[in-house]
Amino acid sequence: MFSLQFLLALNEMGDLLTVSNQFVILPVLVPLVGAMVALLLRRRRSLQAGWTLATMLVALAISVMVLLEVSRNGRPLVFDSGGWPAPFGITIVGDMLSATFVVMVQLVMVAGILYAIGSKDTAVGYPTFFPLFLLLATGLTGAIFTGDLFNMFVFAELLVISGTVLTAISDDRFGTEAAYKYFYISLLASFFMLLSIGCLYASYGTLNMADLADRIAVRDLQPLLLPAIGFLMATFMIKSAVFPMHFWQPDFHAASPTAVSAMLSSVVVKLGVYGFLRMTTLLFIEQAPIIRLILLILGITGIIFGGLSAIGTNNVKRMLAYSTVAQVGFILVGIGWGTTLSITAAIVFSVNHSLIKAALLMLAGYIASRAPVKSAAFGVVTGIGRFLPLSGLLFFFGILALAGIPPTNGFISKLLLFGSGIEGAEFVSLLIIGLASILTLIYTIRAFQRIWWQKPAEDVQIKASGDHLLAPSLLVGLILLLGLWSDPLIKTAEQTSLWLADPMAYIQAVLGG
Amino acid sequence: MELFTALAIGLIFAIGVFQMLRRNVIRSVIGLIIMANAVNLFLLIAGAYNGLEPAYVGVSGQRSDALPQALVLTAIVISMGGTAFVLSMLYIISSRYKTSDMDQVDGLKN
Repeated sequence: MFSLQFLLALNEMGDLLTVSNQFVILPVLVPLVGAMVALLLRRRRSLQAGWTLATMLVALAISVMVLLEVSRNGRPLVFDSGGWPAPFGITIVGDMLSATFVVMVQLVMVAGILYAIGSKDTAVGYPTFFPLFLLLATGLTGAIFTGDLFNMFVFAELLVISGTVLTAISDDRFGTEAAYKYFYISLLASFFMLLSIGCLYASYGTLNMADLADRIAVRDLQPLLLPAIGFLMATFMIKSAVFPMHFWQPDFHAASPTAVSAMLSSVVVKLGVYGFLRMTTLLFIEQAPIIRLILLILGITGIIFGGLSAIGTNNVKRMLAYSTVAQVGFILVGIGWGTTLSITAAIVFSVNHSLIKAALLMLAGYIASRAPVKSAAFGVVTGIGRFLPLSGLLFFFGILALAGIPPTNGFISKLLLFGSGIEGAEFVSLLIIGLASILTLIYTIRAFQRIWWQKPAEDVQIKASGDHLLAPSLLVGLILLLGLWSDPLIKTAEQTSLWLADPMAYIQAVLGG
Repeated sequence: MELFTALAIGLIFAIGVFQMLRRNVIRSVIGLIIMANAVNLFLLIAGAYNGLEPAYVGVSGQRSDALPQALVLTAIVISMGGTAFVLSMLYIISSRYKTSDMDQVDGLKN
C-alpha cells in the first residue's frame, strides 16, 4: 500500500519535472539571480562561496536536462520571452548545438568555482568575486542560448565586462593593464557587432536569427550583406582570439587570477566558435564556402603561429594561452572543412579542449601558488614540481591530452578531426596540421621537463600550502573518462552535426512554435 | 538630407579612427568614445531615421522604425558604462606610470 502511494507521488513529481519550453531560460536565469543573492551575502564569505557553487550546480543540472530533452525529443526547445511570438520578441532557443555548448560551459564553470573556493589568491577574497563569476556564466550561457542577434550582443557585453573586472582585480600587478587592453579590444569587437547588426537590420528588417536566415535565403543579395558578414566575422574572431586578432589574449589570460584564466582560456573563447558554427550552418549558408575557406586558412596559420609562440614563451600560463590560439585553430579547421563529419569533430574538439585547458591552467596556477614567489614564469617554477608529485601526474595526463595521445580525450578529438580530413580528401591541410601538432608535443614536454624533472636551485623553499588540487583532479578524471568512454560525447556531437545540416528544422521550430 | 547624414556619420567615424590610432593613451580613449557615437548613429539610421518624423505617429510621409531606436538606447547605455569603466582603468594605469605615452606603458612586455 505504502509503495503504491510512493509510486504515485513519484509519478506526480515526474510530471512536475517534465521539461517544457520554459526550462530553456532557466540556465540563464539561475546564475543571474544567484549573482544577485550572492551580492547580498557579501559579508559571509563561506556562505557566499557555497551558495555560488550550489547555484552553478543547479544551473548545470538544468542544462543537462535541457540537453537530454532536446536530444530525446528531436526538436529544439523554444521559449518566447514575454509571450511575444518569434520574430517580434526575444526568443531563447535550446537546440543541440547550444545545449551542448551550455553544458560544456557550465561544467567547466563548476570546476572553476571549486578551484576558486580552494584558492589562496587575495582576489578570490573580494566580496564581488563570486557574483562576478556567476555573471560571467550568465553572459556566456545567455549569448549561446539566445536566438536574437542583438540579445547576443548584450549578453556578450555582460560577459566582457565581468571578465574584465575579474582580471583587473587580479593579484598580478599587471592585471589592470591586461584588462584595459582586453576591454579596449572588446569594445571594438562590440562596435563591429553593432555595425553588423545595423547592416543586417537595414537590409532584412529583422534580427531574429531564424527569421534572418529565412529572409537571407529567399531575398536577392543585398549590398550591405557582405559588410555585415565581414563585421560579424571580425567580432567572433576577436572573441575567439583567432590568429590575426589574438594579440590581446596571452597577456589577458596570463594576468588574470587562475580560477578566472582557466575559464577565459577554455570556455569563453568558445563563444566565437559557436558564432562561426551558427554563421556557416544557419545564417549565411549561401556565402558559407567563402567563410569556411577563410576560417580554414586562419585556422592553419593559427595552429602554426600559436605553436611556435608557445615554444618561445618563458611562462607556463602564457604558454598555455598561446596554445589556446593553436587549439582554436584546430577547431576552425574542422569548421572550415565543413562536412558533417568534420563539424562533429570540431564540436568534440571544443568540449575536450575546454576540459583539458581548464585543467592545465589550474595546475599551472597551483604550481605558481606553491612557488616561493607567486609567479608562473619558468625562472621561478623550475624544479618546483619535484616536491609536488601528484600535480606532476595530473599535468602529465593533461599534456598527453593536449598533444592527442591515448588514453585521453584529446586523442579522440584528434582522431575524429584527422579522420574527417581523410574522408574529405583534404590532404594538403591535413599534412600541415599533422606536422604542426608536433609543436604541441614540443612545448608541453618542455614545460613538464622544466617543472618536474630539472633540479631546483639549492636553497629553494616551497610554500607549505597553496591552492587546492580538487578541481584539476576532477577535470583530469573527466579527461581520462572521456578518453576511455567517449561514446556519449561522440553520439551527441554526431546528432548535433546532423541537426546543423538541416537549418530548416531550426527555422521552422522557432518561427512556427 | 540622407546623404548629409551619411557623410556626417562617416566623418565622425573617421575622426574616431584617427584619434584611436594616436600614441597618447587618453586621446585613443577619446577616439573610442567618438567611434561609439558614430556606431550608435549608424544603428539609428538603419531604421530609416527620418529627421523630425516620429515613429508611427500620423500617417503622412515615410515614418521612422521604432525598433532601432530601442536598440540604440540599449547600445548607448552599454557604451556609457564601457566608457566609464575604461576611463577608470585608464586612471589607475596613468597614475602608476605617470605618463600618457602608450610606448612607456610596457609592464606586460616582461
